[in-house]
Amino acid sequence: MTRGIDFSQLSLCDAVDLAILVEEEAKDRYEELADQMTIHHNEEATRFFLRMVQVELTHERILLSRRKALFRDQPRKVTREMIFDVEAPDYYAARATMTVRQALDMALVAETKAYEFFDAALKEIRDPEVQDFFSQLRSEELEHQKLVEAQIAKLPPGEPVMTAEDVSDDPVAH
Amino acid sequence: MNTSTAASLPTFQAKDFKSDLKPIWCPGCGDFGVLQAIYRALAGIGRAPHDIAFVSGIGCSSRIPGYTTAYGFNSVHGRALPIAQGIKLANPDLLVLVAGGDGDGFSIGGGHVPHAIRRNADITYIVMDNQIYGLTKGQLSPTSPRGLKTVTSEYGSVESPVNPLLYVLAYGANFVAQGTPADMQGLSRVIEEAIRYPGFSFVNVQSPCVTFGAEDVQVKEHRAHMKSLESLGHNPSDRLAAMGLAQHYGTELHTGIFYRNPEPPPTMDGLLRERQQTMAGKGLPRERILDAFVQK
Amino acid sequence: MDDLVVGMAGSGGDGIVSAGESLIAAAAYEGYSAMMTKSFGSQVRGGESSCRVRLATQRVYNPGGLLDVAVALNWEDFLKFGAELPVSGSTVVIYDSKTGVAPADIPLQGVAPREVFAVPIGEMAKQATGTDKAKNTVVLGLIAGWFGIARLSILRGLEKKFARKGAALVQANEKAFILGEQFAKEHPLATPRAMNAPKGTPGKKMLVDGNDMCAAASIFAGCQFFGGYPITPSTEIMQFFTREVWKYGGSALQAEDEIAGIGAAVGASFAGKKAMTATSGPGLSLKSEMMGLASIAELPLVIVDVQRGGPSTGLPTKPEQSDLFTAAFSAHGDVLRPVLAPTSVSDTFDVTVEAFNIAERYQTPVIILSDQEVAQRKETVDPIDTARFTIEERRRPTEAELQDYARFRITEDGVSPISHPGMKGGNYQGAGIEHNEHANPTASGKLHAAMNDKRFRKLAPLKARRDLFHVEGSPNAKLALVGWGSFGGLCREVFARATADGLDVKLMVPWLVYPIAEEIYRDFFASVRAGFVVELSHQGQLYRLLRMFTDVPAGVTSLTRSGANPFQPDEVLAHLRRAAVSLQQPAVSIASEE
Repeated sequence: MTRGIDFSQLSLCDAVDLAILVEEEAKDRYEELADQMTIHHNEEATRFFLRMVQVELTHERILLSRRKALFRDQPRKVTREMIFDVEAPDYYAARATMTVRQALDMALVAETKAYEFFDAALKEIRDPEVQDFFSQLRSEELEHQKLVEAQIAKLPPGEPVMTAEDVSDDPVAH
Repeated sequence: MNTSTAASLPTFQAKDFKSDLKPIWCPGCGDFGVLQAIYRALAGIGRAPHDIAFVSGIGCSSRIPGYTTAYGFNSVHGRALPIAQGIKLANPDLLVLVAGGDGDGFSIGGGHVPHAIRRNADITYIVMDNQIYGLTKGQLSPTSPRGLKTVTSEYGSVESPVNPLLYVLAYGANFVAQGTPADMQGLSRVIEEAIRYPGFSFVNVQSPCVTFGAEDVQVKEHRAHMKSLESLGHNPSDRLAAMGLAQHYGTELHTGIFYRNPEPPPTMDGLLRERQQTMAGKGLPRERILDAFVQK
Repeated sequence: MDDLVVGMAGSGGDGIVSAGESLIAAAAYEGYSAMMTKSFGSQVRGGESSCRVRLATQRVYNPGGLLDVAVALNWEDFLKFGAELPVSGSTVVIYDSKTGVAPADIPLQGVAPREVFAVPIGEMAKQATGTDKAKNTVVLGLIAGWFGIARLSILRGLEKKFARKGAALVQANEKAFILGEQFAKEHPLATPRAMNAPKGTPGKKMLVDGNDMCAAASIFAGCQFFGGYPITPSTEIMQFFTREVWKYGGSALQAEDEIAGIGAAVGASFAGKKAMTATSGPGLSLKSEMMGLASIAELPLVIVDVQRGGPSTGLPTKPEQSDLFTAAFSAHGDVLRPVLAPTSVSDTFDVTVEAFNIAERYQTPVIILSDQEVAQRKETVDPIDTARFTIEERRRPTEAELQDYARFRITEDGVSPISHPGMKGGNYQGAGIEHNEHANPTASGKLHAAMNDKRFRKLAPLKARRDLFHVEGSPNAKLALVGWGSFGGLCREVFARATADGLDVKLMVPWLVYPIAEEIYRDFFASVRAGFVVELSHQGQLYRLLRMFTDVPAGVTSLTRSGANPFQPDEVLAHLRRAAVSLQQPAVSIASEE
């Protein structure tokens, strides 16, 4: 979801900044989810989300140094308020007792959404440099998806025999 | 590119309103999205955090002020509205927000709602309506549908629910809206408009409880079923039409503005400020106040 | 004569209370010390009404006991007031001859007043004004004539009162007054009783009731917000605020219920303004939760409880002192909340200002525990020099403290600097939930203990406030008298008379009734072997609190009566005399009496 962005007018600087914000948002969301999982004592999910924080941070840093190299201290014109849930995983897919598989599914959906974001944006972008840039990002999202899928494949098959819900003292819905 | 900010106001970003306190809500709770919407709405409004007083009652959603950098007051169950009005009358320059759940607002707090509406102080009341009592672990709430089985209605609720939208519209609220975290940006927009609206404004947020609510009322269901009032061609200046639509509370999830009075009546704080200005200095000076009692 | 107690009764349309108002206004102007209480039947209007006016050449602290003068416009209504209008053999009884009762047959049980006058009050009124509406003015003439008081001032008052309606009415009432005076001159008292002139300059005394005094004192103290709800007998305080507070830049709200009333005041205090609410017993019960919130949120707040007969709806128009337990202990959890009790209209000013100062200094709710008698009685008050009062403000954070602001920082004296919305850098979360120094919620037992300690510790200096206790009499006296609230005045009077009689007695009238100042009471009771804590309640609540917190000598007992009809000075004096006698016989114990 975006607000107030005219992709046909997007400059390269804005595009890079936008990409940074997308990563930043994702990183912040994974951090929030890690906090939630810590508070709700789900160690496995916490560890997973913290790893994702690092992953997004890395992406963000790469983009930041690129930005610095290309545009130095040019003021940023795009804001976080212009995007929502682009690459950030869905709040409402999280559950206190979620398994690593479920968390990976969440991440996969997030990467897919990011791919779709760049894909849709490309249809409106005019600037050839920006087109190049977004195509690159779109490909990278595809790569990320594959990485996540690989992780999922590595998991033991089927659901675990016992889940956190089975031992939890906490009440659940009917 | 749209980078609208008023030239003279300091620019605030959503993160300026985010406190360091980590929410204890259950992962998947609708309130996370409401919080984001509030951050963004406040960024759009542009008042500094220290000029904002955010009052709440008791409940999961009443924790919300603590997750913002505003002055907060997580008070007692059902009594946020009187406290908020006291704050606003004492200092009308503050931006005053109120938050709470459906139980806090329409059960124990129900007696305060009509009076807050008719006084029309310039405050904004956001109710996170999840048709359940979450914090106390799953009891029936005043907006729970008939037949709902909960820990205090094992055999199904035999009560009809309060319709919060119809309730506040009937009592004469001049701004009534509804939103859902499923459309966070839409929610943020109505919250911002509610805050901007001069007078008592009410936003009902369908914010599902992930732990005690059924699966079929969670946010992903909202995405499937929500209908914007705008898309229905609703005219928000028409109170009766709004009430007609509000009757579908419980079966439809209408989002957007139900009613916005095109001619906002005077606010209580506005009227009293005028009175204070007119009557300023007309009393005996404080140190001579007892002169009025001297038998001369 | 230096002291006169007049009791009058009639039906609602007779204007008997109005006569009392005229009388006390005139007396106040002339410089008498005076008190007036009123009593009504239960109808909103038109039922029986009575008033009692006491005037004296020196300061009085109590509305007095037996009537010196009884005026009955009709006997049916007079008798409805029973023990409130006690007549004795030496009472001068005046009644309207229209009642058709012969002086020898007046329906007063068990008393034989020696001077009884059947006066054609209604007829004289008709003669003067064409209607019998001016009966009350005739009565004023009778009183002025027989007791030699305030004729010019009364006439002046009548002129002011009726001026609006035209000269004809003024003259007619003057005529009625004179007719009454004439009758008195033509039928002199067997034992002449002329009031002595008061000392001091006329036109200086105030005439005001406790509720208005409380409200005025609150505004003087800087109160900027009132939130409340109508309830007898406190509503006048709210009405004062809704009329006046705007002139001082403040605000007042008649809320939808008692809880909303105090809730709004809590909000106003949170917003940085001095705030108050006022109620009576039923409202105090409802406000319980909010008071607890104010305590844990450490918000300054003043709550006035004008006590009336309880429990529940009880006796809405009668005084009682049975809310002390509620005032001290109400609100669940470990809460320490100061309670101050005014004893007269005059010290209602001091107590109210002090209540606001204590609230601000210690960031706590404070209860002003008044009662229906003090709140609704009109009293003359000597000029109060407002310049001698210091007004305190809450401790606000300095610039340095705002750099790393901790709303509930545990300081040496337990008081943390308090910010309010609008103050940059002072942002914090007010809450009813237990919290750490930075106002974040906590469930830690250790932090909770530290915070409880802080909240109790900060109030400790109150227990050393000897200025909040009136102690009189010889320090080694073995006989003691303790009274609070309106009974403080009663006990002062009893003490004065007992001392004049030669009894060696000491008096304690506390303004601070909670927390119990153990050391101050210990010092007071050190020499004491017998005495009374006199209270208008069934349980004797202060006595119980004293027993709970400090050592009370075995011979000091609880002298109580349920509310509505306070003890009269004579009654308490009799108990005191018996106790004095028993002190000369070491082995005798005194039973307490209801």
